[in-house]
Amino acid sequence: MSVKVTRRKFLQTASLAAASIPLAKVVAAETGFVKNPFTPPGSFTGTQTVTGGVCEMCFWRCQLVGKVRDKKLVKLEGNPKSIDNGKSICARGNAGIKLLYDPDRLKFPLKNVGERGKPVWKQISWEEALDECGARLKAVQEKYGSHDIAMFPHGASAKYPMDFFEKVVGTHNVSEASFFQCRGIRDSAYMATFSVPPDESVDMANARAILLIGCHFGENVHVSHVKAYLKGLENGAKLVVVDPRYSASAAKSHIWVQIKPGTDTAFLLAVMNYLVEKDKYDKQFVAAHCVGFSQFKHGISHASLDWAARICDVPARQIQEVAELLAANAPNVSIHPGRHVSWYGNDFQRVRAQACLTAILGAIGVKGGFVKPKGVKVKAISWPKGEHGGEHNLRLLADLHHYSPPGTPTELIRDACISGKPYPIKGCVIWGQNPMQTIPNQQKTVAALKQMDFVMCVDIMPTDITMYADILLPEPCYLEKYDFIKTGTQWNFADKHQQYIAPRMPLVDAMFERRDGVWIMNEIAKRMGYEDKIPVASLEEKINKELAAVNLSIEQLKKEEGIHIQDGKDPYGVAEDLEVLLYSEDLEENGYPPIPTYIPVEEAPQGYSRLVYGRAPVHTFNRSQNNVWLHQAMPVNPVWLNDEIAGKMGLKEGDEVGLVNSDGITSSSRTVVKVTPGIRKDTVYMAHGYGSRNPLLTVGANAGVDDQELITRLAIDPETGCNGMRNNFVKLVKDGKVLDIPA
Amino acid sequence: MEKPSSPPAMADIFRFLAQSMRYPTAEWLNDHFWSVLLSFLDELQWHEEREALIGAKAGAADFLEDVQVEYTRLFINAIPHVAAAPYASVHSRGDGTLYGAIAEQTKKFYREKGFALVKENDLPDHIVYELEFSGLLAKDDPEGQKIFLTTLFTPWFEIFRGRVLEEAHHPYYKVVVNLIDFFTREEL
Repeated sequence: MSVKVTRRKFLQTASLAAASIPLAKVVAAETGFVKNPFTPPGSFTGTQTVTGGVCEMCFWRCQLVGKVRDKKLVKLEGNPKSIDNGKSICARGNAGIKLLYDPDRLKFPLKNVGERGKPVWKQISWEEALDECGARLKAVQEKYGSHDIAMFPHGASAKYPMDFFEKVVGTHNVSEASFFQCRGIRDSAYMATFSVPPDESVDMANARAILLIGCHFGENVHVSHVKAYLKGLENGAKLVVVDPRYSASAAKSHIWVQIKPGTDTAFLLAVMNYLVEKDKYDKQFVAAHCVGFSQFKHGISHASLDWAARICDVPARQIQEVAELLAANAPNVSIHPGRHVSWYGNDFQRVRAQACLTAILGAIGVKGGFVKPKGVKVKAISWPKGEHGGEHNLRLLADLHHYSPPGTPTELIRDACISGKPYPIKGCVIWGQNPMQTIPNQQKTVAALKQMDFVMCVDIMPTDITMYADILLPEPCYLEKYDFIKTGTQWNFADKHQQYIAPRMPLVDAMFERRDGVWIMNEIAKRMGYEDKIPVASLEEKINKELAAVNLSIEQLKKEEGIHIQDGKDPYGVAEDLEVLLYSEDLEENGYPPIPTYIPVEEAPQGYSRLVYGRAPVHTFNRSQNNVWLHQAMPVNPVWLNDEIAGKMGLKEGDEVGLVNSDGITSSSRTVVKVTPGIRKDTVYMAHGYGSRNPLLTVGANAGVDDQELITRLAIDPETGCNGMRNNFVKLVKDGKVLDIPA
Repeated sequence: MEKPSSPPAMADIFRFLAQSMRYPTAEWLNDHFWSVLLSFLDELQWHEEREALIGAKAGAADFLEDVQVEYTRLFINAIPHVAAAPYASVHSRGDGTLYGAIAEQTKKFYREKGFALVKENDLPDHIVYELEFSGLLAKDDPEGQKIFLTTLFTPWFEIFRGRVLEEAHHPYYKVVVNLIDFFTREEL
């Protein structure tokens, strides 16, 4: 632009005579301002503390307070009244502010006027967005049936919409990543063994010994859980860590079992067999509560120390040492059930072995053992459940996965989408989940989405999956809305028994045109003809109704600084009717091993190494990868490579590499090598949740490598239908050259 | 039809510029707005820009949607990413996030001049607010306007404008940011 007329001259001479109308007539009559007499400094109220925050940077949900200055959230802290996390929050919790004010966040309803996968977005009104969602979902429902809508939910805000689609619309095709790609196997395996979903309910703070199978606390930070773990260590608990990698927990361990990946069940069987053979199990507990001990004893009798040592590639004497240590400290032993357990496709058996080991050590209901906290229950208000029958339930039709967590195994849904059999699935609702980074084999996910008649996403960030949406709707984040009611007890059972109730309340108002899940779902439900089924008019009403059941209200909680605390109950003790199925007839009848059984997994091909993944302390998988503070704390996910192997490959610390898997899939981005003796020679490791390929994420796009992109070989846990994701093998790529890994 | 006759007031010009940076809808991006915009360019002798706009409109199957897509891509959410977030805080004195220090300073400046946002929770440093505010000061407090523009607006707008000129596919926003630059740069 060259200046041909100066501003001064323009203002003196311009008439805009050629315009059809005066300038003042084409601008809005009102501005965004009001007259507001200036209040001089001195009367300014300064920073206020707003209570009622419940974190969702991860799903542990610590209680927060916000420091708010002139409507702006300037700092997050733990709520001092909390008996859970207390004043402490983790790095991710602190960085929530940067999520709140992330310029990449979704702000308005968007419509894709391009194609799925290569979207061209334009902002549209809520009215238009909701009309389109309602009409197109209804069209799918009328053309194909309710079961032809699939839903992929995740997080607290997705529960109400999930219930709508399951209970009212009547589709079984709902698949939560938190179950099918994470902890569902654990819950199902413990339920099948002693009828209790375990959560992470081990009394580590008061344990004499702690056994972690793959858990890496310190890298996986859940504040009150880590407090209990560290209190246990501080009190002198012996720590055993079974992990192919020298994790943060391994660094604190008394015994580090550097196990060969995929063989943990063999290790656990050998420990149990040793305890049984040496009469070092809890005979009294077994006699009182365990079913099928003789079959169990016989069934694991092959699992000698030497047998396991060969399979697990660890010394027999170390397995013996672990067994002796557990026996010496029983029953005050925390056999941690794990959290993310969908590893190899043989995981139900491993987790069941953990449950059985807990039982034969008598470590249930005792100090230091498996102890369920006695918190208060607050029942969620939700949609009325209609009668929909099971004739379209893919799992029942396939007669598979009889110990599936709630919902339908993801693979069954995705396969039906692609094949159209046993019926087509043509509508898809994705709410808070990023299946591109939660479900292995991304090509299949893309194929499933591309054949849909309609795809809608609701999220707070433009994650990878949102690139496949036709309509993309923005939600407020956890700092801007009412939501989930967190309940629990004091973190250390040695302290006074207390219970708490802490509903999530907004610390600041929602910005832009973000709308909460209850409002969005209700508006779509109206447009699908279900207005008469709507259970609550607003999220606030929902929370108030739920609180009313325990004689509380939002108003009361505000008076109580966000957390209601009341007397609790002693969590210790064993129910008289507790029954532990060491041998399960039910499992046998359904065609599964009735006692825990080691099922070998595929070995790495020559030149490849097994890819395992885990958590970084500053990230919650892909949910936090665009957070500027967290990104600066750990911008990429280094690939851990054994130092001897690195030497043979000519690689050194910090070298930039890509990865290629045994199916020929090459990572879209690169990362750096971490050379360390702290990983087995046959294994490489990286933190999960990096390398997003959605360029809408200014910070997170292509930062590090997306491990999920390399997980193309599918393993399905037969009992549960959950994915196993550590059966993929990789080579490294440096300067365009593919390098064999000489394990 | 009411015809313009006298030179436009700066207050109206700033409101026009603010209007130009709102999300485009048929309600305001209509023939009247278009004719005023072209008149501006005509009298400024920005002939190339004028032709580019006329050409873009004439060649468009749906001109409004083209501008909406461009607005969304540049200023809301888009690929390759939000090319030019229209907030001071993203570009100036911070780490690229919203509601940084400059946003608070801007809000404070509004307050000191006796103004507040109608939607008090909105981000105060959006370009539309800043242009509207400049328009409010233009008539009665030109000195205040000058201070606002030089200390709080121009430093980030320079960066923002550069991003728009680099990233824009459609001529409309290139023309608009150049118009804003023309009416806010002191030396002109």
